[in-house]
Amino acid sequence: MSFPGAVAFLWAASWRNRARLQLKRLRKPRYLLGLLVGAAYLYSVFIRRMDFRGPAGGMSEGMRLFAELSLVGSAMGTLFAAWVLGRDRPSLTFSETEVIQLFPAPVARRALLQYKLARGLMGTSLGALFATLFLGRSLSPHPVLFFVGACLALGTLYLHSTAASFVRTRLAERGTWGRVVRCGAVAAVLGLAALAVLGSLREHPVPVDLTSGRALRAWLQSMMDSPGVGAVLWPGRLLVAPALARSVREFFMALPPVLVLLAAHYVWVLLAEVPFEETAVARAEARSRERVLRASGRMTRVGAMTLSRPPFRLLARGRPEVAILWKNLIARKRLGGGFAVFLVFIVLGGAIAAVMGDTRMFTDTRRVLGPVALTLAVTLTVVGPSAFRMDLRMDLPKLDLLRALPLTGQQVVRAQLAASGLVVAAFQLALLAVALLLGPGVEASRLGDWWWPGGLALALLLPAISLAGLFVQNAAVVLFPAWVPADIGERARGLEAMGQRLLALVGTLVVTLVGLMPAGLVALVVGLPLSAFLGPWSLPVAALAAAGVLVGEVALGVMALGRAFERLDLSEERPA
Amino acid sequence: MDSVLRVEGLEKTYGDVKAVQGLTFEVAPGEVLGLVGPNGAGKTSTLRCLAGILPPSAGQVWVAGHDLSRAPVDAKRALAFLPDEPRFFEYLTVWEHLNFTARLYGVEDWEARGRALLEEMELSGKEKSLPGELSRGMKQKLSIACGFLHSPKLILLDEPLTGLDPIGIRRMKASLRRRAEEGAALVLSSHLLPLVEELCHRLLVIAGGKAMALGSLEDIRARLSGADAAQASLEELFVRITSAGAPPP
Repeated sequence: MSFPGAVAFLWAASWRNRARLQLKRLRKPRYLLGLLVGAAYLYSVFIRRMDFRGPAGGMSEGMRLFAELSLVGSAMGTLFAAWVLGRDRPSLTFSETEVIQLFPAPVARRALLQYKLARGLMGTSLGALFATLFLGRSLSPHPVLFFVGACLALGTLYLHSTAASFVRTRLAERGTWGRVVRCGAVAAVLGLAALAVLGSLREHPVPVDLTSGRALRAWLQSMMDSPGVGAVLWPGRLLVAPALARSVREFFMALPPVLVLLAAHYVWVLLAEVPFEETAVARAEARSRERVLRASGRMTRVGAMTLSRPPFRLLARGRPEVAILWKNLIARKRLGGGFAVFLVFIVLGGAIAAVMGDTRMFTDTRRVLGPVALTLAVTLTVVGPSAFRMDLRMDLPKLDLLRALPLTGQQVVRAQLAASGLVVAAFQLALLAVALLLGPGVEASRLGDWWWPGGLALALLLPAISLAGLFVQNAAVVLFPAWVPADIGERARGLEAMGQRLLALVGTLVVTLVGLMPAGLVALVVGLPLSAFLGPWSLPVAALAAAGVLVGEVALGVMALGRAFERLDLSEERPA
Repeated sequence: MDSVLRVEGLEKTYGDVKAVQGLTFEVAPGEVLGLVGPNGAGKTSTLRCLAGILPPSAGQVWVAGHDLSRAPVDAKRALAFLPDEPRFFEYLTVWEHLNFTARLYGVEDWEARGRALLEEMELSGKEKSLPGELSRGMKQKLSIACGFLHSPKLILLDEPLTGLDPIGIRRMKASLRRRAEEGAALVLSSHLLPLVEELCHRLLVIAGGKAMALGSLEDIRARLSGADAAQASLEELFVRITSAGAPPP
């Protein structure tokens, strides 16, 4: 069998076997149910909103301009990244299996390269299909033409990136001289582009009044039609022209240059070919190591992990489960996932506020900082249990290790919950402190007497609610390991797996809400009668009662979950 | 003398698959029992059941007099399980792993013991290393150091020499022999038949989850029929027992 024949067989057999496996999985009710839910979700969110009834009435000029600019900008960004970002090495990526199976095979490097290019082009075609499904109808009256155009554009960009990586490798092999040539060429192109844009700006200065969309559109159109910017954008516009064609005739008019570009890039890749085996092997090994780390429980980059000091000194004497709390707090400090998410959350919020022109954040801190901190503390109650995962979700992939420890199931569950619970509570209390101390306070007209009692009530209630949320999420991975997998990185794929995850998410939310109901009732029963005597100060009393109920529920749950943990046998839950 | 490990009618099933079927045996203090069998014989499942990792489907296990199903914490405190693929918390350093183990088992003099074990395992100087920075053999040694820290009465080893270099293998054999001489009971699962022959006092040969032979090498030789059974090597006996089957012990 020739190499192309072998590759065709490999792909066909792989797809057939994957389909068979997925069909076989559907014999299990949980996957069948997952498939139904996943399909219903996909239909209601995406497919139902698509309109395949023929060409739409047509896109507005403004919309078309925006679409063209976005696509051209993406294409130009890809070209920039190919020449400026990343390392000077071939961009071809092979899996470890491909390295082991194909590299020692009697196959020429050129054949391996063509195999990889074919795979890459298949990947870009899949990307084009998704783009057509989700965007095609909005951007083009002919989804099929949009798909073909997107395939050609994405394929050309893929070939360009590959060729650029080969050229960069060749130049890097020449040392400083090669780097100077590349940087000089890139700088020259960027400089020429900047000069062209500046020239166009001189001809078409930014209008003083850009408040109306029409004025902005007119100015953008004039810029794009000017010789300078037109020349800069020409390659990108050429590339996206077939995808954005408004008619079949326009499509066929735009097609030949793109086909020529595609063919020229293919020839360029073959001519620029460099030895890629060494890089491919190193990348495959790195990916394999990452996969093993993920499978072992947590993706970590050893080189990037800072060996921060443990949170406290762990003595040999004392309750043994404190060792788990200690190690999980170390994990939080060194892996820092939850905190990173939290920081991203804050930075993004600030950036959005700044972009939207809400400068109050930076001027009237007392009016803004308090409510922002309060909002974050409340949001953390919902987001925290998902973001901070130093508990059973992190450790369950190491079930062998946990089960061999001389601890009861209750001890393990309690200690595992404690780390995430303490960290979330610490963040919530810190944010509440910021809100209460730096917010508008009792001087605010509407808050007045409620400021401190309300703050105290939240300080009691929010950590308890988060603890309940953490418990439900941890219980889910122990009680339904097949439905709610722990953090093992390698997640099951397919529509049925997506449906399973959706069901698990809804189930977790429902259980959390049901768990909150008794606490809410107790808070009402305690708080309402007391409000007549204590006024606003009945709030913290009611919150204390509600928090007590929640903590009691969690304590009872820990006892039950501990027993379930002792009986947990993941060997019986392995997917088929 | 009372046995450190007593197993009666141990069974483990995964769905319809019977991985372990009715194993019954004992291991005395200072004794090394070799667990041998072909791939898929049920060795690892047996060891995991003995370590309290997998709940047995039937049967009972006593470790140092503690029923593993009724008093699992006391039983686990008396044993160490060293898997073939060591698992660590990748964010804890070598020294922190020893600290963690010391708290779990209440080893008050853990620092002195830890230093001695790191010395013995040639891991001195690696105290601040993360598991991801250790080679395969070093990870195996760290696993053994953590396992030995609390001086367990029962040591369960699954392919203990995987990844070790020749000097490491020699040291490890000496270390295991010393633990046995100090009174620990060892159950050692390995495909390395010369290692089993060298270290083990008795053998438990399993195939298809069932015990095919149990006893010293001489006992097994004597039990097997055939003209050349008396001179047969362990390898020959292994092949004969596991391929043709043998009368249960």
